[in-house]
Amino acid sequence: MANQSNLYTLTSSQKMMIFVLSMSLYGLSNMFTELIPALQLGPIELSVEYFAFIPLTLCMLFHPVYAAVGASVGEVIFGELMLGQFGGLGELEKFLTFSFAMYVAGRMVRDPLNRRQVGIAAMTGVIIHQLCSALVDIGKVWIGVEEFEAVPGLAPSVVIVEGVSFLNDVLFSGTLFALLPTLYLVPRLYGKIEPLLGIKPRVKSTKYESAGVITPKVVITGIVLAVVAFVAESLSETDWNFGEWDSGFEDRFGVGAIWLSLAAAAVIAAITIIIMRARAEKRSRNSGDAPHA
Amino acid sequence: MHNTATESDLAVRLTDVTFVYPGSEEPVLKGASLAIERGSFTAIIGGNGCGKSTLCKLFNGLIPHYYVGDFSGEVEICGQPANTQNVAELSRMVGYVYQDFDNQLVRPTVLDEAMFAPLNYGLPDYRVMGLQALEMCGLTHLQDRYIWELSGGQKHLLALAGALSLSPDILVVDEPVSQLDPQHARQVYEVLRSLNEHYGKTVIVIEHHTEFIADYCKEVCLMENGQVLWQLPVADGLNRLDDLARLSIQPPEVTQAAVHLSSLLRKENGAASHDQQDWPEDADGRGLSSPPESAKCMPGLHPDNAPRLGQDEVRYPVTTDEAVAYFSGMLGGRADLPGAHSSSEASGGHSRPGSRLTESGPEDAQARPIVEFKQARLSYRTIRRAEREVLRGINLSLYEGERIALVGNNGAGKSSLLRLIAGIAKPSAGAVEVMGEDTKHQSIEQLSSHVSYVFQNPEDMFIEDNVYKEVAHCLKSRAYPDAEQRISQMLESFRLESLKDRDARLLSGGQQRRVSLAIGAAVLPHLILLDEPTANLDLATREELLGTLQDLEGFVRTVVIATHDMQLVQQWATRVIVLTDGTVAGDGSAADIFADHHLISRAGLAPTQIMDTASRLDLHLTGSTPAEFAQLVHAILTGKEVPHHAACPQLA
Amino acid sequence: MQLVRSWLNKITIERIQLELMNTAYGSGHASLSRLDPRCLLIWYLFFAIVPWFISNLTVLAGMFLMMVVTTILSRVTPFIILVLCLGLIGQVGWLFILSLFFGGDISSALPLLKLTLKLSVVSLASITVFSGMDPEKISDGLLALGMPAAFSFSLSYGYRILPVLFEEFRNVLLSYRLRGKAPEEPGVMYWRMAAYYLKLLVLSFFPLMLATAKRSRTTVEALETRGFSYGMKNPAAKKLKLAHLKVSTRDIMFLSGSAVYVSLLFWISGRL
Repeated sequence: MANQSNLYTLTSSQKMMIFVLSMSLYGLSNMFTELIPALQLGPIELSVEYFAFIPLTLCMLFHPVYAAVGASVGEVIFGELMLGQFGGLGELEKFLTFSFAMYVAGRMVRDPLNRRQVGIAAMTGVIIHQLCSALVDIGKVWIGVEEFEAVPGLAPSVVIVEGVSFLNDVLFSGTLFALLPTLYLVPRLYGKIEPLLGIKPRVKSTKYESAGVITPKVVITGIVLAVVAFVAESLSETDWNFGEWDSGFEDRFGVGAIWLSLAAAAVIAAITIIIMRARAEKRSRNSGDAPHA
Repeated sequence: MHNTATESDLAVRLTDVTFVYPGSEEPVLKGASLAIERGSFTAIIGGNGCGKSTLCKLFNGLIPHYYVGDFSGEVEICGQPANTQNVAELSRMVGYVYQDFDNQLVRPTVLDEAMFAPLNYGLPDYRVMGLQALEMCGLTHLQDRYIWELSGGQKHLLALAGALSLSPDILVVDEPVSQLDPQHARQVYEVLRSLNEHYGKTVIVIEHHTEFIADYCKEVCLMENGQVLWQLPVADGLNRLDDLARLSIQPPEVTQAAVHLSSLLRKENGAASHDQQDWPEDADGRGLSSPPESAKCMPGLHPDNAPRLGQDEVRYPVTTDEAVAYFSGMLGGRADLPGAHSSSEASGGHSRPGSRLTESGPEDAQARPIVEFKQARLSYRTIRRAEREVLRGINLSLYEGERIALVGNNGAGKSSLLRLIAGIAKPSAGAVEVMGEDTKHQSIEQLSSHVSYVFQNPEDMFIEDNVYKEVAHCLKSRAYPDAEQRISQMLESFRLESLKDRDARLLSGGQQRRVSLAIGAAVLPHLILLDEPTANLDLATREELLGTLQDLEGFVRTVVIATHDMQLVQQWATRVIVLTDGTVAGDGSAADIFADHHLISRAGLAPTQIMDTASRLDLHLTGSTPAEFAQLVHAILTGKEVPHHAACPQLA
Repeated sequence: MQLVRSWLNKITIERIQLELMNTAYGSGHASLSRLDPRCLLIWYLFFAIVPWFISNLTVLAGMFLMMVVTTILSRVTPFIILVLCLGLIGQVGWLFILSLFFGGDISSALPLLKLTLKLSVVSLASITVFSGMDPEKISDGLLALGMPAAFSFSLSYGYRILPVLFEEFRNVLLSYRLRGKAPEEPGVMYWRMAAYYLKLLVLSFFPLMLATAKRSRTTVEALETRGFSYGMKNPAAKKLKLAHLKVSTRDIMFLSGSAVYVSLLFWISGRL
């Protein structure tokens, strides 16, 4: 590593290490957060959205690009592909906004020991991500529903729904799983985790090799991908969100249908649980059955 | 260090290499020079932090191409200068196996892992190369397995196969023994030997287990302070006892025994004003010179007088074979005489464990067991949805004041038994009671105030950022009233006061082990469970651990250790429980268990060099330390042990 | 809540790990996993995108049926199905309530049924392909379809490293538990327990980060010594790596079979 100048240059292996580190850790955490059930209090959902503190911490301590992209890849691989929840093309939007938000948060911190800076950056990261997602969601409905203005109450309700979920995510997930852990971890890990990767801890004067990272090619690819993702996502949501909302569809199945489908899913779930339990009992109890969350 | 071999005969040649890691002031290598011939089997030894691993990273160009530090000097690999080639090119000539080899395996299945490197290089016959490498390491039958299905030893062999797949001329293996149990370690070394002998590979190992060096290596190379001090044939190198002692590297057990014996004989001879020619005649016929002039033979006591390698060099045996020849030569025709009955006398000076067993052992009807297994069974579900029973109906009672060693080979169920006691796993049938209460109804948190579980890998226990906090964590989270006092008591007893502000992860192996024991003892549990406490420890640290175990007794009355370390069992345990295949195969005192050779081999336990030598000499040794062995041999030689000592004319 | 609670009690880290590993690796014998990954990925793309544009109930139901069959063929573990069902209950139920809240009525039930079907088709297609296929094949397929080599490597590396990560996580969590104090009362709706475990979960990442950092270093170093970065830049290596991919009759039959079936669905729906 050429440390003499304070330009933050990394060898390709160090980049790979940061990438692998971020990917494995955030991926693992994502598996857990995907499995933690949400607590729903009316329209307010207390869910553990994500452990944003992991990429936030790593972005603040290391080069943010590799940590941010690593985390996003980790989410796709561990949290989605492995759990069979990969949403296909729609994931692109999440990938881009999340990486971008984490990157910005990482760039905001100049001194990892400055708690105020770390705190502000952590919250900013979460807010940017949530804001982007909310705006994208609202935009999708806007574009997706042909007669958006014509549907009474749709516009405000969409904004309210997105706004509430935005506030939820920022205030609940953002505080508990981004702000507090990041404040706890960054100063503790600073100067400790870097030597393990053979990297010199960054200092105030450390500058990133900006030219190498944000090339016109990257920017253009990013924009193109964002547009593609956006279009794909809005097309995909056209239909189901509000498309046929008020179209007066013939009430062939009535309310029973939805309960039927819900019940079917519940029955399958119940049967699966019963089968699993029966098998488990047949095989006698598994080791370490203490409950975990 | 520069021998006369021509360039092309050299696998590795280093000239005056100095290297400073980035961000560090002190150079790790300070003018190191080394030449290793093709086809050799070389061990590199040295104290912690002497630059062994750094040296080996020169061979495949990781230094200076990957770690961009300050580098000077010359490195030549197979006659070609290394600085003009990158890591990828050098790696085709040099295979490298890491100490934490598990992290080296990056592919999901065995064959994929073996083919990984040739594929990256775009070699069309990658499949053949991968299969060939597996063949060399004896893994062909496992080629379709997933990595996580393999045992530790198999994983190490696979890491080896991965490194071999490009058919490099040189193979570097970093501390193969440290993460493996003795049986698997030997298996790995057998493969290394065949690679060296049959496939002509140059094998370089970083190793501090001198028994393995003696058995397998041809050449040994000592490093100190970033320099190569010497490079010698193994038997000579391991006889440089003063150097080894200075760097706390223990020579092989048989070497220690021989040294000990000659010092005993010297005392004897000195007392009796015997001439030095009275040593037994050289009868070994193995090229060992006769036992030493006594003045030169006590490196432990007089390092300055330790044997020098020169014209009249002095050599102690380093392998079991040599030892058998050496000692049987000394014992003359009487090697087959029974020395058993009174050998306990010979080792009388050594405090034998066992007294406690009789005080409060299981025979004591009044004693209430601390732990009781009632037909306990435990099964795990494996990945292929199959059930695997690891414990098959265990009935055991553990009593207060016992020092219990749990032995058995890998997969015999040692760890599972410990996990049942700690409540980490609950029995799938039967019951386990701790302090009279069924573990099924207790959470891990509740049980852990009675039972401490110390992990095999201390690093898994470190959850705080300094030693003080590690020890304090439990006491504080459970709000013990006397927490502060207890913490300082623990730090003092385990000699951690000077380390209390350091990060435990960055301590040495022995220090880490002490921290883990302090963590376990801090709650003053009734029972402490130690999983393989001597694994990964070099021998000096291991000795230190024995002392720490004594300290532990001040706080915990009952200790259970799961171990492969037969020496530890001999020296420490009052009760030995042998597990084979999930059942209790033996339960008794150490002496009882070790007397049963059939049981020992059935349990897959590896006898120590001393135990092996003693049994091959037909000496019935009750202890197992080199000192005990030397005392026994000495007693026989001086006639204290054997009635017809007249058969030994030299000493008559 | 009762369901969730008993589900929670049933869950252990070991169990989750086991189920996930089963999902990832247990598919070696599934009949679908013998298909060419590129074909399967293209097949997936179709069923991941097209359903969104279809509002015909017959076609959707037909596709759903087909996905059920392929899911069964790919021998997915019950655990994944359970997660899917719970997810559907949450998502669709929530939407239904929301629709009532915002002035919708019974008439929104049908669109929601369709939505359920679409979601199911897409999810099942993704389960069929991504859970039923050997991760190695997925990564080869992605590489062949032009994804960066680093991504396809990360994918198979993820599967390799998962058991190691879980093992380490279990040990760390165990360390916290062996030295910690669980709340004495579970609290209303087990909130104290939930908070305790959530806190442990977050705290666990401190030691885990350090341990993983240590491991990443060895891993990347080892990758370097085995020509990984060399291979990334080397087109011959990629070609060689993908040489074993061959489109067989079986693949063509599978794709054309699917195509015929879907066209049939459209035809039937047109006749109705």
